[in-house]
Amino acid sequence: MSFESQEKSLRELCESLLRDGKVKSVAGFGPQSPDTGLSPPLIAKTAGNAKRLSWNSRCVPSIARYLIGRDGPAAIAAKPCDARAVASLVTERQLERKDVFIIGMECAGMTDGSGAPLRACAECGTRRAPVCDAEITGAPETARGTRDAAEDFSPERFRREMDKCILCFSCRQACYGCYCETCFMDRGVPSWQSARPDVGAKMTYHLGRAMHLAGRCVECGACENVCASGVDARYLIRAATVFVEEEYGFRAGMDAQTPSALLTFKSDDPETGFWKDGKHD
Amino acid sequence: MNEWTPVIAAFLCNWCSYAGADLAGTGRQQYPPYMRIIRVPCSGRVNPIFIIKALIDGADGVMVSGCHPGDCHYLAGNMYARRRFAVLKKLLSSAGIDPDRVHFTWVSASEGARFAEVARGVANAVKALGPNRIAGGDSQ
Ligand code: SF4
Ligand code: SF4
Ligand code: SF4
Ligand code: FES
Repeated sequence: MSFESQEKSLRELCESLLRDGKVKSVAGFGPQSPDTGLSPPLIAKTAGNAKRLSWNSRCVPSIARYLIGRDGPAAIAAKPCDARAVASLVTERQLERKDVFIIGMECAGMTDGSGAPLRACAECGTRRAPVCDAEITGAPETARGTRDAAEDFSPERFRREMDKCILCFSCRQACYGCYCETCFMDRGVPSWQSARPDVGAKMTYHLGRAMHLAGRCVECGACENVCASGVDARYLIRAATVFVEEEYGFRAGMDAQTPSALLTFKSDDPETGFWKDGKHD
Repeated sequence: MNEWTPVIAAFLCNWCSYAGADLAGTGRQQYPPYMRIIRVPCSGRVNPIFIIKALIDGADGVMVSGCHPGDCHYLAGNMYARRRFAVLKKLLSSAGIDPDRVHFTWVSASEGARFAEVARGVANAVKALGPNRIAGGDSQ
């Protein structure tokens, strides 16, 4: 039961998938960088290159978006959150289910450079991909936390996180769901961005992005992991994520058929927060 | 007599609430003159960023009104909007934007009196909060 044994099985499977022409490429993780220890994304297109696919506790990046626009069927060495992202992309018609071979890597949770669990991973109880075509189990046992039921959703916390932001947009670049060719923040006409990186600009970005990720965030933590300013960018979306789950019973990417909560409706949806003659509730 | 009056951006669906506001006018129903009415083709056209941007750029309140569920001229624009608005309101309050600044409702073309009543109610709710300082007044 170890990363090494999972890595060995992964390489064998991917070599045969590529050799037999079942897929044209495999998206996964490459050898750890000597500087950071991180395993960067790797796209293997030959059986020989599949030998470089790596699996360890530093396979941190979200890699589902590398499948978008690929020519021909592709496989992905998917953490559970990557598998959810792929499933979500299928429901959004960015990928065809038949063109993706999901290899579900049982996940012990990823760590930071010091070996401590990443915040998102510590909160994530999911060890196994909810959607996959093959599974590689045998991840080491690790203590996995759960969500804090009494999570602090105070405006102060939102503000504290948002204030640290320097509007570099790395969180957008890291997120599977931010695949727009032109992000609303990059648009000139109309321009939603104000000229200065002030509170208003930060709010525009984070609230606008939160609405775009509402019902789509798979809580992978790629946004918070990549942030150089230490913003818990996932938290800035969490009020929406939690609300969507409670109100519509929907969690993104748990299957590859159900459309995201905001891309569908029921005729008798609750009108939480709407104006009811004389008052709102 | 320098009583403070809020600025309220009201996004009204052309096919129902906009006509409802018109009817309120022709019927001499009073509603606050500081409602800045913006005509949209459907409540489903109201991109949440319109609301976010209005609040950040200094609107004291926002109101969105569309056709009653089942009556949307594009069949389901308001159904999608309903979920979007519910989520947006939740998100805005997590960011510290008072829920009383943002109001969603349905008003049909024949409900002139109701439009005036809702508009007055919204105005009172927003007035009670005072000026919007969401962006600390440093945007724009
Ligand atoms: S939250 Fe972090 S990564 Fe995202 S834009 Fe702000 S500073 Fe950049
Ligand atoms: S923030 Fe919104 S518009 Fe920008 S890339 Fe992400 S989803 Fe697209
Ligand atoms: S918003 Fe952050 S946590 Fe959610 S899917 Fe995107 S990168 Fe992952
Ligand atoms: S046409 Fe009025 S809400 Fe869609």
